[in-house]
Amino acid sequence: MVVSFQEAVERLENGAIMPEHEFDLRVGQLARKYVKEFGIKMNPEEVVNSDDGLADSAFQAAQQLFVELGVYCTNTGRVAKFTEGEAKEAINSYPTKLEFGEGKEKGFMTPRQVEDRAPPWVNFSAVGTPVPSSQFVTVMRSYAQEPLANAFSGPSLLELNGRVVRSGAPVEVEAALFNVRSTREAARLAGRPGLGSHNLVGCAEKTAAVLAALHPDFGVRKTDGVFVAALGEMKVDYERLNKVPFLQDAGYHTGGLYGPLMGGYAGGAAETALVLLAHFYLGRLMFRAEFSNCFPLNIRETCNTTPEMLWLVSLVSQAMRRNTNAMHTMNAFLSSGPCTEMITYELAAHSIAATVSGAHLNPAAPARNKYPERCSGMEARIHAEVGHAVARSGIKRAEANKIVKKLLEKYESKIRDAPVGKKFSECYDLRTVKPSQEYLDIYANTKRFLADLGLVV
Amino acid sequence: MDSSDFPYISLSSFVCSVMRLEDISNAIIAGDEAQASALAKQLLDAGTPPSQIITEGLAPAMAEVGRRFDRLEIFLSEVLLSADAMKAALKVLEPAMLTSKSVAKKQGVVVIGTIEGDVHDIGKNIVATMLEASGFEVHDLGKDVPVAAFIKKAQEYKADFIAVSALMTTTMYNMPRLIRDLTDMGLRDLFKVIVGGAPVLPEWAQEIGADGYGKDFMEAVSVFKGLTEK
Repeated sequence: MVVSFQEAVERLENGAIMPEHEFDLRVGQLARKYVKEFGIKMNPEEVVNSDDGLADSAFQAAQQLFVELGVYCTNTGRVAKFTEGEAKEAINSYPTKLEFGEGKEKGFMTPRQVEDRAPPWVNFSAVGTPVPSSQFVTVMRSYAQEPLANAFSGPSLLELNGRVVRSGAPVEVEAALFNVRSTREAARLAGRPGLGSHNLVGCAEKTAAVLAALHPDFGVRKTDGVFVAALGEMKVDYERLNKVPFLQDAGYHTGGLYGPLMGGYAGGAAETALVLLAHFYLGRLMFRAEFSNCFPLNIRETCNTTPEMLWLVSLVSQAMRRNTNAMHTMNAFLSSGPCTEMITYELAAHSIAATVSGAHLNPAAPARNKYPERCSGMEARIHAEVGHAVARSGIKRAEANKIVKKLLEKYESKIRDAPVGKKFSECYDLRTVKPSQEYLDIYANTKRFLADLGLVV
Repeated sequence: MDSSDFPYISLSSFVCSVMRLEDISNAIIAGDEAQASALAKQLLDAGTPPSQIITEGLAPAMAEVGRRFDRLEIFLSEVLLSADAMKAALKVLEPAMLTSKSVAKKQGVVVIGTIEGDVHDIGKNIVATMLEASGFEVHDLGKDVPVAAFIKKAQEYKADFIAVSALMTTTMYNMPRLIRDLTDMGLRDLFKVIVGGAPVLPEWAQEIGADGYGKDFMEAVSVFKGLTEK
């Protein structure tokens, strides 16, 4: 039987005491140890990993890393440890079918396999890009109206009716309520009232604000989801854990959210891959996660479209897909912004690497997730359509690798100074909620480029 | 010019001193805390002034660590190990620094933390480490630091700078509160406020009245140094 949430919290309260700094360093030390022991290394020729043995080794290495490292709680300053048997039970206990949406929009997220011809499940999201409240519903509609959106979630708020949304202040609760009401309104305006949300609240950080919004009167449904995030590498805190008993009892879907930094505490790409894999154990044991959303980032470039990040995305996805039924989405973080040629290449590269490796998708965070109003449904459309094309075509990892390397030739050298792109209001018609011809033309060119490489989108 | 123009120093001890300064740099770059401490002691025993050990041994080592991290040739855990090695060496030098006439000048006193509501601290930790390596006296208040605590600690440590980080848009908006509270309390002129973090843009930093902004740790250290020289 899987260790209960209550037992897991007990261990956070009674485990070995350790200074946080020491735990942070231990993450890297142990990740290096297991990378060396299991020979986890990127083959520079394979941005998309094709080595099944390497994926399986990464999975085994991550399991041992998790067992030796444990989970750190910043409130108690203690480390919860789990046995290998408990870790295995946890990773094998993820559900294999999740229902989102209702009516005509009801859908089921199920596991994919490596090189699967089944299309990826795609959670369309503005991933926390701040937008003004006056545009919030329109921005959300641009995602909800996309036919390939299986579920969707909103951006963050620059302000709420002229008031800044500050974490911990009453206005944060108002923002969370506004967020969930707007989600339903956007779905209705898009003609898809039943469309589910994989993460209901993106406008609030504090648990009190998130939970306040999860009232059926505001339009939320038990088939919607809420993310619970890990803090940095393999750490949790009570603020986020406080969501878990409520989500468990109320019956909303719980998504684990993990974003380890390549170049950070874990180390390089191989070490960070193991640490990301270890988070799947953390997510199930500490958050009761039913699925996971992964946004590993290059610490310097704040994106996951560099060659080593694409390799990490592919390796982790293959490791999970070949060894478990736990479902995960890969969250694209792009260095460039909307309505640029570069973002179409970045989106395509990330989508190909993730989809062919068996992942589901969660697009997208443009312009390093830094610049207000730089998000639109078009980025999610591109990511999803490329993913569907990969599955439909049945391309193998070796072919995917060739295409991704050609895409990298187009943008890799520009990542450091990537263009921030256009604001939503500059690349969409706010009345019709249609993308600009300029953006459509840019995408059409990229589709031609991909078709020449053998991938028809 | 003859040899009497120079203070007497034998060639062998000069070479030894240079070598040990290079060695202590290498020990810090390698993150070898024990070796850095031992070499600091040897250099002091050999009569090398603590200010020279800092400026020619410790500081260049951390600058090199910063450059390597910027190129991702090394990773954060290595940076932190180097910082620990530097701190260990500084601890050995401390008593001598108190009595030495040639104490290395502190660049300034900084209180640093992640703003109220925000528990993300990796970026803040990197900046704090690099500031310390660059000669600033750094008081790291940690994460989720209330606005009032920034002000209280800045007063307590007689800080020159209050450095504030945020990773979330919702927490970022606690930064202008800090500046407004400082103004309302009549303390604004006492501290330079530097802001940074993923969602913070230079235009916004200017709009809220911050004194400086750093897009990453390299830029942040330059901004602090620039403001110190003013």
